Amino acid sequence: MDSLRNSLRRLNPLSTATADAETGTGVGVEADADERGGLVDRLRRSDFVESMPFWLPPTALVLLFVYGAIAWNVVISFTGWSGLGQPDYTNFTLEMYRQMPADQDFIASLRNTVALLIAFTSASLVVGLGLALLVDRKIRFESTFRTIYLLPMALSFVVTAIFWSWMYADPDGLINTALHGIGLEALAYDWLGDPRFRLAAVIVALIWQFSGYCMIVYLAGLRSIPDDHYEAARIDGASTLKLYWRVIIPQLRSSTVGATVVLMVFALKAFDFIYVMFGTNPGRSVDILAVTMYREAFSASEWAYGAAIAVVLFALALTIIGPYAYTQYKRGAL
Amino acid sequence: MIRKNSNKTGRSRRTVLQATGAVGLAAIAGCLSGGDDAEPLENLLEEDPEEYQAVEVGHWWTAGGEEDAFEALVEGFEAEYPDIEIDSSPSPGGAGSALEADIRNRVVDQNPPSTFQVWPGQALTDYTEEDLLYDIDGNVWDDEMREAYHDGPVDVSRPDGEFVAVPINIHRLNNLFYNVDVVEDSGVDPESIDSPSELLEAMEAVNDAGYVGMAQQTASAWSTLQLWAQVLLGEYGVDVYESFIDGNVEENEDEIRDSLTLVVDYSEYFNEDASSMNDWDDASNYINSGEAAFFHQGDWAAGEYEADDDLEYGANWDHVAFPGTEEMYALNMDSFVFPKHNPSPNATLRFLQYAATPEAQERFNQHKGSIPPRTDVSDEAFTPFLQDQMADFQESTDQPPSIAHGLAVAPATQTDIEGAFANFIDNWDVDETYDDLVNSFQ
Amino acid sequence: MTADTTTEPEPEDDVNGDGDDNDETQGHLARLSPGRIALYGGLLALVAAYLSPLYSGLTTAFKSQDAYRETSPLQPPIDGFTVDPWLTAASELAFAMLNSFALTIPAAVLSALFGSLAAYGLTKVDWRGQALVLVLFLAAVFIPYQAVLVPLRQFWSMVGLSQIHPRGELVELLITHVAYGIPICTILFRSYYQTLDGELIEAARLDGASLARIYRKIVLPLSIPMFAVTLIYQFTQIWNDFLFALVLLSNRANYVVTLELNALAGSMATDYSVQMAGAFIAALPTILVYILFGEQFAKGQTM
Repeated sequence: MDSLRNSLRRLNPLSTATADAETGTGVGVEADADERGGLVDRLRRSDFVESMPFWLPPTALVLLFVYGAIAWNVVISFTGWSGLGQPDYTNFTLEMYRQMPADQDFIASLRNTVALLIAFTSASLVVGLGLALLVDRKIRFESTFRTIYLLPMALSFVVTAIFWSWMYADPDGLINTALHGIGLEALAYDWLGDPRFRLAAVIVALIWQFSGYCMIVYLAGLRSIPDDHYEAARIDGASTLKLYWRVIIPQLRSSTVGATVVLMVFALKAFDFIYVMFGTNPGRSVDILAVTMYREAFSASEWAYGAAIAVVLFALALTIIGPYAYTQYKRGAL
Repeated sequence: MIRKNSNKTGRSRRTVLQATGAVGLAAIAGCLSGGDDAEPLENLLEEDPEEYQAVEVGHWWTAGGEEDAFEALVEGFEAEYPDIEIDSSPSPGGAGSALEADIRNRVVDQNPPSTFQVWPGQALTDYTEEDLLYDIDGNVWDDEMREAYHDGPVDVSRPDGEFVAVPINIHRLNNLFYNVDVVEDSGVDPESIDSPSELLEAMEAVNDAGYVGMAQQTASAWSTLQLWAQVLLGEYGVDVYESFIDGNVEENEDEIRDSLTLVVDYSEYFNEDASSMNDWDDASNYINSGEAAFFHQGDWAAGEYEADDDLEYGANWDHVAFPGTEEMYALNMDSFVFPKHNPSPNATLRFLQYAATPEAQERFNQHKGSIPPRTDVSDEAFTPFLQDQMADFQESTDQPPSIAHGLAVAPATQTDIEGAFANFIDNWDVDETYDDLVNSFQ
Repeated sequence: MTADTTTEPEPEDDVNGDGDDNDETQGHLARLSPGRIALYGGLLALVAAYLSPLYSGLTTAFKSQDAYRETSPLQPPIDGFTVDPWLTAASELAFAMLNSFALTIPAAVLSALFGSLAAYGLTKVDWRGQALVLVLFLAAVFIPYQAVLVPLRQFWSMVGLSQIHPRGELVELLITHVAYGIPICTILFRSYYQTLDGELIEAARLDGASLARIYRKIVLPLSIPMFAVTLIYQFTQIWNDFLFALVLLSNRANYVVTLELNALAGSMATDYSVQMAGAFIAALPTILVYILFGEQFAKGQTM
């Protein structure tokens, strides 16, 4: 009986996979099957071979374009290649990495990238959670509200950078016009011209663009909390505030983790918006690694140095993606 | 059993990796063999070809007078060579941003346009180092032509010793524009200001009279970079300037620090909205409206005043050479080059030869608001302002090349210097900017 | 990217309906309570905040040069109303819009198709390596593209499609988008295929049907809702892309709309009305897709 069921499972990996993901027993089943050997093994093997036409071409494309390119980029970062010629793959040097600590632009970019990463991610999560909690209060026209809050996610950064340049314009932009209108002239700064505010201005615009995304992630999380958790807490006499703090927010942990990874990784590569607003040389108040990399490689033809900065960016991204992908893998969520 | 099984999958996976590895290797191999040599120019040229390919011209003259200038040039060329078609390939971005990167890509891909607009001088070194441009000595440049040029333009046409560029225009960077009424009202005589530090005193007087001392935009760095370059030239002369662009920053530390400090002092007299201006023409408008006394910019700014019906040259707006640079004509130029792997060698050559003629330069520059690089072009067709400029150019003893426009330093250095000034206009920190300038040349 | 939200059905509409019914039956009190009023006030204030950049853009896009200089962006374009900025922007962007369509539609279809095939192959086969492959795909979704730009430029420079045909670089960009779209599409399809009922496939398998046949006859038809999600996701991503296009396209005639819009903004630095009209024109296809297929769009984003 057991063996038959296992064979069926083999033949029907779709359901196996689901079961694995749900129960986390995949390893056990697998070990079981391995001991049975013979026929099952051969079947599996033929499955593997037969399925290759499906997954191999896309996988090969990904390996070549994504991982091959990453490896190649690392190699280029060791060559010292610059100018319009070809890289010399016979001489390797760590020079590019040695330059970094002395390069003020690089240091400023790194600092801004980290500031952007932290401020943008946390603020977007908070705003998104706030939106989700409001929208989740059984309101009328809920889908209309949701649609409006999420709308910025459908727009290109080129488009939103153009809208926000005009929002921030001094003195005619909407923000400063409004501040003048309500008698707060004193707060009507030159948002994009004044180096103190530039990075903050970019972060606010990006929060505008991404908080809707956080909202729908949190909404999905909120709606997966069983109703009886609310009921139980209510019966215990918890106030609304306590209800949220004690019961709901803790249950949103996985939504938070997922959204955080997406936001942080985005913050690392937030190139388009700053490039469109400020060009390739935005100044140290708002320069980030993604822009510095582009400027070194594609404006100055310092290819190897650009590639080395890209390696740093990649390493930063790995420290975020790595643990996430690993836990997803461990949980069998893949 | 387990081991056997994993071996099998292992082998399959290895095969996959080998396959992708092979593709990668092929790619790298292709890359290494990519730098094959182009045909020598002589093999491509014919005395009298049966037919010509169209000349694709990459450029960023996309608006206003610039567009008219290019059209006038094309018209003249097509009248001279009715068999050759010009395929205009305009790109956006003004001072070389998108076009630059695009053209570089195409040149490296051995798929260049026939010719393209490019800053001459050190801006070309990336190309010449990789031998991507044809030497056009003999085919375009000859003794007759060389005689018609001052040394400055000749030098930037051969950055590495070989003639690779045909200059088409010159914009002057050391003009100081002013509003006549405002300086008179402030009791300042621009003609008598002899140095950049005296200009500061003049601005003070203007400020006391209730006007903006100097109109400026500081939203992007290049305007302040070119202003500083003129301060350095005016206060310390051509030798220090040329020493700087040769990379001797530390040798000239005092001069560089002092000139930067002077610019910081100037900034006290800039218009208050300098940092939020989108472009230089917003700043130049302060001269039109009579709100500011002085304005430093390349001589393209004169177009803004000539186009203003309320202003008359000499009576309402005027200019002097930037104080201390009276004998100089600071160069910002455009040129055409002859890239290798050329899609239309015979037609390209004729286009370059035409661009070097007095007729072509007259046609082009009167619309562009710049002057011909040749010194033997009649000034009749030009505006009074440009006629004065041409006379100044004739008499100039030095023609220092512009840093902000790529003539003076290699592109990577220029990017770094721009970065230094992007920072400078944010914090006006002389020490930091000086350090950045030192690093720019390393 | 949270896998656990993927399979969540979307009951909100029902919940919403119930909520409204309850409000209805419990009388007006619930809706008129100060708390409720504050809630709606807050929601509406947020709507104003979220729409304000679009609003100031829209009013400005209909103003003449003089009107936009003299009136505040808050004012609707009554004096000095004009559609000229739209005409100017449309004529500047027209060719780039066509390029964007020619690029985006095939790239979205191909990456969705490859994603579906890969997910089918990887969900179907049961070998240990598949989870590893999927980890690689998951990581590839997040990789900062800066890490591949230099090699990518170098790779296509060597392949040299742009030398073979003037449109070659658009094909380069298309292939690039397909390759970088595969990981996310695969993950999306994979999470969907895991929820598919296996019985049918199992039966077909026992009947001796080939994997290809099962894909065509059973999986593909069942995948249509997921194709909608991935196609919309990819359409939006590729249409909105700027970085790859910036690096790979060097011929103006091949510019996609994001590049050309940036060029338009750069060359007409102070003419906000044309910039704003151009921004709306460039965004129109994705806005339409978003409004028509909002649910699928949201699904693609949350998975």
